[in-house]
Amino acid sequence: MNEIFAVAGVVIKELYRRKDFYVLFILTVLICLVMASVNFFNDSHIVRYLKEICLLLIWICSLAIAITTTARQIPAERENRTLFPLLAKPLSRTRLLLGKFLGCWLACGLMLLCFYLFFGALAASREHHWPLLNYLQAALLHWVMLAVVIAFTLLGSLVFTAPSSNITISFASVAFILLLARHLNKVALQLPEPRRSILYGLYYCIPHLELFDVRDLIIHDWPPIAWTVCGVAALYALAYASALLIGACLIFHRKAIN
Amino acid sequence: MNATIELERPLIAADNTRDTPRKPGGVSQDIIAIEHLRVEYPTRERGQPTKPAVKDLTLSVHPGEVFGFLGPNGAGKTTTMNVLLGFTHATGGNACLFGTSVREPISRQRIGYLPELTYYYKFLTAEELLRFYARLFHIPRTEADRRIDQVLQLVELDHARRRPIKTYSKGMQQRVGLAQALINNPELLMLDEPTSGLDPIGRMKVREIIQRLHNEGKTVFFSSHELGEVETVCDRVAILHRGELKAEGRVRDLVAQHQCNLEQVFLRVVGYQP
Amino acid sequence: MRSTKLPLLILAALLVLCFGLAAWLDLWFQTWQGNRAQSADVLSVLMGDSRRIFANHFFVKADAYFHSGYYPTVFDNREAFQTPHMAEDSGTVGGQNHGDETGFLGQPRDWIDAFSRQFFPARHTHLDEGGASGDLGDSSQVREIMPWLRLSAELNPNDIRTYTVTAYWLRERMGKVAEAEQFLRDGLRENPDSYEIMYELGRVYSENKHDLARARNLWEAALRQWQKQEAPKPDPDKFLFIEIASHLALLEEMQGNFAQALAYMALWKSRSLSPDEVQKRIDYVRHKMASPAPAGPSPQTPSQAP
Repeated sequence: MNEIFAVAGVVIKELYRRKDFYVLFILTVLICLVMASVNFFNDSHIVRYLKEICLLLIWICSLAIAITTTARQIPAERENRTLFPLLAKPLSRTRLLLGKFLGCWLACGLMLLCFYLFFGALAASREHHWPLLNYLQAALLHWVMLAVVIAFTLLGSLVFTAPSSNITISFASVAFILLLARHLNKVALQLPEPRRSILYGLYYCIPHLELFDVRDLIIHDWPPIAWTVCGVAALYALAYASALLIGACLIFHRKAIN
Repeated sequence: MNATIELERPLIAADNTRDTPRKPGGVSQDIIAIEHLRVEYPTRERGQPTKPAVKDLTLSVHPGEVFGFLGPNGAGKTTTMNVLLGFTHATGGNACLFGTSVREPISRQRIGYLPELTYYYKFLTAEELLRFYARLFHIPRTEADRRIDQVLQLVELDHARRRPIKTYSKGMQQRVGLAQALINNPELLMLDEPTSGLDPIGRMKVREIIQRLHNEGKTVFFSSHELGEVETVCDRVAILHRGELKAEGRVRDLVAQHQCNLEQVFLRVVGYQP
Repeated sequence: MRSTKLPLLILAALLVLCFGLAAWLDLWFQTWQGNRAQSADVLSVLMGDSRRIFANHFFVKADAYFHSGYYPTVFDNREAFQTPHMAEDSGTVGGQNHGDETGFLGQPRDWIDAFSRQFFPARHTHLDEGGASGDLGDSSQVREIMPWLRLSAELNPNDIRTYTVTAYWLRERMGKVAEAEQFLRDGLRENPDSYEIMYELGRVYSENKHDLARARNLWEAALRQWQKQEAPKPDPDKFLFIEIASHLALLEEMQGNFAQALAYMALWKSRSLSPDEVQKRIDYVRHKMASPAPAGPSPQTPSQAP
C-alpha cells in the first residue's frame, strides 16, 4: 500500500503544481461573481440561478480536470520516459496503476473541496443559511462519480495511443451518459425488437453516472437523500470503478512499455 | 553454437575461482542469471514471421564484478536489459535477479537502474524525487533522509536539492539519475550508456563512482559504446551481435587471446570488415 | 543608434489617428444606422434568429424552476405541461393542459429507474405554494424564476407572454409593483401594439395602484388593439378578449357607469363560454339601473377561463 500512496502523492503534487486547476477555479469564480452582480428587478435574494451556474461550472471543470489529468498519466510517463526508472523499482504495474487512480481521485477530491467551499460561500451570501448536509452529500456523490470517470479514462489511456483520442472519447461518453442514460429505457420501449433488447442491454451495462448528479436537489432546496441510498449508490460506483480498473490492470500487464 | 563462444568456454572453465556452482534445480547464485533467453517482436506485415531481438542468450553475472554488456546498435542489449527490468516479457527462456524471476517486482528490490535518457518528473525537486523512490523501496523515513543527503552529496547536487528538476541542466539531470539509482544502496547497479552525452569530467566522475561501488563489493552491469572505458573498468564483458552472444569472458583474457585491444576484439567478433 | 522615442511617437500618432477616425465615423454611423438599429444589438448579431429558440428555452426553464426542478423532459409525457403552469396560474394566458401533471414520469420501468428517482426532484410543487419545502406561507420563492424570464425577454423582446407573466409574479407575490410596471413599459416599447401588455399594465394600475382612470384607458386601448388584430382572424384569442371586456365591465359597474358597463358585458357575453352567467350579471346591472336602491346580493362574477 505504501507504494500506491507514494505514486498517488506524486499525482497530487502534479495537479497542484500545474496551472490547470487554478485557471479553471479562477474562471469559475469570476463568472459566478459577474453573474452575481447582475440586478434582477432590485431583488438581492435571488440565488437559484447562481447556484445552477456555479454547479454547472463545477461539474464541467471537475470533469475537465479529472479526464485530462488521468488521460495523460500513463502516456506522459511513457513519452517522458519517467516510466522506466519507475518500473525499475520494486513496483508492480498493478500498484502503479492503482497509485495513479488513487492519486487522480484524491486530487479530484481536493479540487471538489475547493469548488464546493466556494459554492457554499456564494450560496450563503444570498440565502443566509448553509444546508451543510446537502452540500456534503452532493460533494461526496460527485466525488464517487469521478472515481468511475477516472477508472474509465485510465482504461482508455491504455487502449488508445493518443491522449487526445482518449480525452475526446471519455468526454463524449460521460456527456452521453449524463444527458441520456436515464432515458434510454423509455426510448428502448418504443422500439421494435431486436433494437429494444440491444438498447435495454446498453442501458443496463453502462454506469449510470446521472444518479450522482443531484444538482437539482441542491438548487431547489430539496431535503437530502437518505444516507443508505447514498451508500448503495457509492457501492454501485465503486463496483464499476473496480471492474474498469481490473480491465486496465489486465491490459497494462500485457502491454510492452518500451 | 557459435565457434567464437566454443573458444571462450575453455577460458571460462579454467577460471574456477569465478565459477559459481549451480544449485540443484538449475537456480544459480549469480546476481544475474539468463538462460536461453529469447525475445521476439511481432512484425507489422501480415504473414511475416516474428522478428527476433534476442536469440537463445545464456549469460551470468557474478557477485562483485563489473560487467560490460557490449554490442553494435540493434544487437539486443537494450532488449535484454528491458527483460531484466521487467519492461518486456521474454518469449522464451528464463532470467533471474538474485535468484528471483524478473517477473516478480521484488527482484528489483536490490537493484539501481540508470537509463540512457534521464528524464524525471520536472515538477518535483531532486529531494522530492529521491524521497518518492525511497518510499517505493520501503526505506524508513530517517534512513531515507540520511541516504538522500548522502547521494546528493555524492553527485554534487546538494546545493540544488530544493529546485524543481525542470530548472536543471542536462548534466544535473543525469546526476539526479545517478542519485536515484543509488538511493537504495543497491547491490546491483544497472547502467544503460552511463557516460553518453557527458563531458570528460562527467565521465571521469561516473568512472570513479563505478570504481567506488566495485571496491564496496557491489556488482555493476552496464552497456556502453565507449570501449576504452569498458576496457578500463570492467572485469568481464559480453559481446552481443544480432541477438546472439558472440563472446564472453574476462577483458584481459579476450585481449590476450586476440592479441589486440578490446575495440579490435569487438570488431572481429561482430565480423566488421574495414 | 536609433532613437527609442521614435516607436513611441509612431504609436502615439496612430492612437490619435484612430480616435479621430472613430469620432468622425461615429457621427456618420448614427445617421446611417436608422433602420439598421437592430444590427447594433450584440445578441442579434451573435445569435441571429436562434436567439428565439434560446428565449423559449429559458422561458420553459423558468417554468421548471417554478416546479423546483420537477419537470418533464422531451422523453416524458408533456400533455399536462403544454402551457407553462407559471403562465397559466398568472391568468395572463389561456391554458391548454390536460392529463396528469403529477405523474408524468409514470411507474418505474426497472430497478434503475426506481432507484434513480431518489436522486432528482420527484414531487409536483409550485414555487408560489412554498416549493420543495411545502411552506404554503412562503410564496416569495417565486422570485427564483425571474432571472430566466428576464433573460428570455432580453433574447426575444417580441414574446409578449414573458412580460405579462413576469409582471404578474413581480406585483402579486414579490410586491414589486414599480418593477412590474417598468418591465411592462419596456415590453410595450418593444411591442407597441400588444393588447396583452396593455391589459396587464391596466391590471397594475387597477389592482396595485388603484388608479382606475389609467386602468380604464389602458384596457380600452387594449380592446381596440384586440379588435384590430384578432377580430379578423378565424380563431381569435378569446381568452384575453373576455379578460379585457370583463374587467372593463366590472370597472364601469363599480364606478356607476351602468350603460357603459352593459355595453362591455354584451361584448363579454358574445365570446364567453358561460353566457348564461354573464346574462345574470347583465340582468343584475339592469335592475340596479332601474331602481337606485340596493338590489340584493350581486351575482358571482362568472369564471373567465374558457
